[in-house]
Amino acid sequence: MLDSRALAAHSTHLGLAVRHVLAGLGHGIHAGRERGAGVEFSEYRAYAPGDEWRRVDWKLLARADRYFVREAERDSHVAAWLVLDASASMLEPSRRIPGLTKLAYAKLLLACVGAIAQRQGDAFGLVVCRGERADVVPALRGPRQLQRVLARLERTEAGGGLPGAELLRASLHFSRTPSFVCVAGDFLDWPSPLSEALVRLRSMRHDVRALCLHTEAEAEGGFDAGLAYRDPEGEGGIVRFGRDLRAGYLGKREAHFEELARQCRRHDLPLVQARIEQAPGAVLHALLHQRGGR
Amino acid sequence: MNPSLWWWALPVLLLPILWHRRKREQDRAGPLATARFLPKSEPLQRRIWRWREPLLLLRRCLLLLALIALLADPVLPWRGATVLVAPGSAPGLVEREARAAGMQEAPRLTLPGRDALAWLHAHEREFQADARLLVVGDVPMPAVLPRFRHEVILRSAPVPAAAPERHVAVFSTRLETWRRLFGALDGLRVVIDARPDARTGLVVWDLPEAPPAGLRAPLWWVTDAGAFPELANAPRLKGMRYADSPRGRLWHNAAWPPSDAEAARTLVADWQRLHHGPMPWTAPAQVLAPDAAAPMRPASGALRAWLALLLVVLFALERMATHVRRR
Repeated sequence: MLDSRALAAHSTHLGLAVRHVLAGLGHGIHAGRERGAGVEFSEYRAYAPGDEWRRVDWKLLARADRYFVREAERDSHVAAWLVLDASASMLEPSRRIPGLTKLAYAKLLLACVGAIAQRQGDAFGLVVCRGERADVVPALRGPRQLQRVLARLERTEAGGGLPGAELLRASLHFSRTPSFVCVAGDFLDWPSPLSEALVRLRSMRHDVRALCLHTEAEAEGGFDAGLAYRDPEGEGGIVRFGRDLRAGYLGKREAHFEELARQCRRHDLPLVQARIEQAPGAVLHALLHQRGGR
Repeated sequence: MNPSLWWWALPVLLLPILWHRRKREQDRAGPLATARFLPKSEPLQRRIWRWREPLLLLRRCLLLLALIALLADPVLPWRGATVLVAPGSAPGLVEREARAAGMQEAPRLTLPGRDALAWLHAHEREFQADARLLVVGDVPMPAVLPRFRHEVILRSAPVPAAAPERHVAVFSTRLETWRRLFGALDGLRVVIDARPDARTGLVVWDLPEAPPAGLRAPLWWVTDAGAFPELANAPRLKGMRYADSPRGRLWHNAAWPPSDAEAARTLVADWQRLHHGPMPWTAPAQVLAPDAAAPMRPASGALRAWLALLLVVLFALERMATHVRRR
């Protein structure tokens, strides 16, 4: 079977990768009210790519020679917000799987979350934090929304740092309806405007999940000692990696993420730390079934 | 020390080549998200195999090469079969001997002096290994049989030598007597100079007063020792005193000029033997077989002048280029 990680690395078609990851992963975010076609029928609407075939009304197709989908009555008020950290550091590649970056992995997982939300009939939106901008795709329902979100994700390229606190406060200003906020990033800047925004959202009783991505090389200190490195978001100083620096590096990194986990626990903010070399399905499962998931 | 050993200094050329390698900062740094957990480091200076200022490097390498070549005194075996002609040889004789030796086509080389074998010893390395050499002319016979690495055909022919010329300055009241003495000599042509000059080999001082301070000659014949204090305690030989002075060697005999012909001939023969050496004997014609074990003389320094000139020019160019670079 094709490896989802390789698919994330090499597929430019997020929808395909999402279907691959979600195959057999029929778990939802929460218990939505929608029960499928024929239950508390609401209206017909034209078929859009991405709609499930089983929701197509075949009798209407026979009569009208057009595809229509039965929309069911629903009363889910949960909106899922997908927040993507697209700062330059998210371009960190896996040193083991060629072409796989944190950004590609985060895109895939957020797309999966979006697809699940769409399946459940929830509204979902996207916030891409990149440089001094936070691009927002407003939360809507339906397959077209999924196409919009996937297209936006596919277009997203990493660069710059994270937006400032003011911009984030304005962009992540959700209504008082309960929202599911899924943030994917590397959380190398913590505390940061993004972390403050997450804590603020959590304090507003939103269901905030943080997905912190690492690479295997980062976690184990397995960089090539013969190369020089620079921080993609730093001021351009050169750093070097060697066997003598490995222990110090691992110590500092561990201290940083321990502090991150401690802060998340303190603010009751579920945190999933994952390596991008892990299977996306398992990480998605861990993300959705964290404490608070239903 | 064999100058050819200097060629072993050629690796010195590697020094400027290494020094001129370009330094380059290791500017290729890959992004690393977790670089913040690593300490900052200075950019590495790496020398790469690309050279800065290649013209200056070339000059420096050539300068060192010229210096080593000058010290090693290289000789290029560029002469082939050659007919060596001693000066004064008849052209007909040269052609005849060349034809007899089958070397009509070989280039003729007129030697600078009469001693062809000594010249050949000094320049033998200039000849290719298989070159045949024909020596024609009046070649003085060396004391021992010469050994060469080449086959040398010696075709000597005595040339009746002109009587050697000697320049004499006479300061005497008995000038006619001295003229008669010098005029009666066989096989020697004596020129009496009115004023002594650089060619003057003998000064006859037959005056009681001291000679002028600046007057110098290899040999002085002095009749009155009073003007020459060096002769006071000089050793005596055959009734004659001799001593060395800043003016030259002094021979003193109060009885001079010689009264009889035998005494005059003996005096002149002694002068010629002691101050001019014997006349060389013409070597007999022979073929000297090549001797691989013949000692190879050091190079004659044929290229030394050119190499020295090249060295000076390169040095000047190198200095100028360095100066311009500093500015």
